[in-house]
Amino acid sequence: MAVPTDQEILNRINTVVEDILKKKPEDLSLDSKFIEDLGADSLDTVSLLMALDQEFDEEISDKEAKGLTTIGDTLSFIKQKIAAGAV
Amino acid sequence: MKREVVITGIGILSPIGNGRGEFWHNCLAGTAAVETIPEQWRDYNSYSSPIWAPMHEPDYTQYPLSRAEKMQMDPVQLFTLISADMAVADAGFTKELRDEKKNTYILPEVHPDRCGVVMGTGNGGLVSYTGSAATHIVTPIKKTVDAYCKKMAGSDSSSDTPGPFRFSSRFNPFSVAMTMPNACSAVLSIKYSFPGLSMTVSSACASGTTAIGTAFRAIRTGDIDMALTGGAEYLADPYGGIFRAFDTAKTLVQADGNFDRANRPFDKKRSGFLFSGGGAAVLVLEEAEHARRRGKQPVAAIESYSETCDAFTIMGMDPDGRQIDKMYSTLFTNAACEPEDIAYINTHGTGTIINDETESRIIEKVFGKKPLVNATKSLTGHTIGASGALETAVTALSIQDQFVHPCANLDDPIRELNFVTDARQEHEIEWALNQSFGFGGHIAGLILKKPALP
Repeated sequence: MAVPTDQEILNRINTVVEDILKKKPEDLSLDSKFIEDLGADSLDTVSLLMALDQEFDEEISDKEAKGLTTIGDTLSFIKQKIAAGAV
Repeated sequence: MKREVVITGIGILSPIGNGRGEFWHNCLAGTAAVETIPEQWRDYNSYSSPIWAPMHEPDYTQYPLSRAEKMQMDPVQLFTLISADMAVADAGFTKELRDEKKNTYILPEVHPDRCGVVMGTGNGGLVSYTGSAATHIVTPIKKTVDAYCKKMAGSDSSSDTPGPFRFSSRFNPFSVAMTMPNACSAVLSIKYSFPGLSMTVSSACASGTTAIGTAFRAIRTGDIDMALTGGAEYLADPYGGIFRAFDTAKTLVQADGNFDRANRPFDKKRSGFLFSGGGAAVLVLEEAEHARRRGKQPVAAIESYSETCDAFTIMGMDPDGRQIDKMYSTLFTNAACEPEDIAYINTHGTGTIINDETESRIIEKVFGKKPLVNATKSLTGHTIGASGALETAVTALSIQDQFVHPCANLDDPIRELNFVTDARQEHEIEWALNQSFGFGGHIAGLILKKPALP
């Protein structure tokens, strides 16, 4: 299977964030912080994590999730997982 | 003056069809749900009953559910939301979005403080907890087995553990809310922004009827003017564990060969009830004047509700049936009617030896042979906590249409009652009764009537 481009991964992450937090595409950037900028509460962050699990078909551990503060963090993390053949 | 209570909306998900129209059409057509149990369940046990009435999860994308709701809720809660959405639309209410992220609404035509929710469920989100328990228990077992298999196969071999290891590696963080029975009511109160009465009742197989009766009382006494009420159940865990619980208790239908004909309430050859994967029915109940003001013609009126308890045994019923008799007396008094007025009885009619024997005997004693009698479970199987609500909906629709669905597979009745085996005949039904009995000895009944003309 072809390795997805950064833009393809980002699009999938953004779709999850838009669905769960009900944000518009123009509200999102790589620097957007889930809690401070996008208004996610604790329930939302758990939902985001589960939705990303489902989207990329791989478990993100609670420890790994702690490092994911922004959309950019998430993109780098998913890229690494794909490169490691984990996704 | 007595406050009249009417049914103005019906929403349904069931093994024989979703939505009021499809469900009722299939009832009248005598469409019965039955399939062999999933092969996957046989990885865990061999069962005495080979069949069930599956409740396939609907295509959730067809309904106004958010991605977060679908992740955070057990099917029993999603069924409740979908059925309520259908019922609200059927009752003619418009809804306005209140909070996009939470996917909640207001109904501009009602005063939220005068609305309530009463739902019934036998087991709530038990299937979700089954999944979480599997993650909790099986994860360390699988690690141990994997290590052992690897050792036996040599370190260079990649080992896939054999056996039925089906579980999510993530422990579901929403397990508490997905499992708790009261979520069935809470999700509706949240969805429609109703801050008042919000109650879940659990009286096993009588839960749906108990819930509707409780909502009826709240409207009649003046506590509220409108209620979303009914029953919901989901029992199709991927391991067949819930099925096994009923199977082991020797309550389920036996079948050798002709599976389509095995589920036969009130027949001499009955052998138990057909386990259903679940379902849901939500009704809109309104104070009659409340419905009249907005020009809504009711489906049926509810005239009385009564509940009793056998106080006899936990997994069965008192074969004497005296508490059923007592329930009838209260129902007749409160509805100001006589047994002779009842033209149609929607029975509990499970197909178990003792239920059908006791129920038919007490019906004959109190009502004689005149009223039409059928068993909706001969079509849907036994949806446990949803059944009383589905059957109240059937009773209301029978009054509205003046047609009664057939009792499937009834070839040789155990008693000479006026059992319906042909749905094509029109009847005159002014008054009708729905009754439900549950493990624990719960007995609940509702008398419905043709509504007054506007």
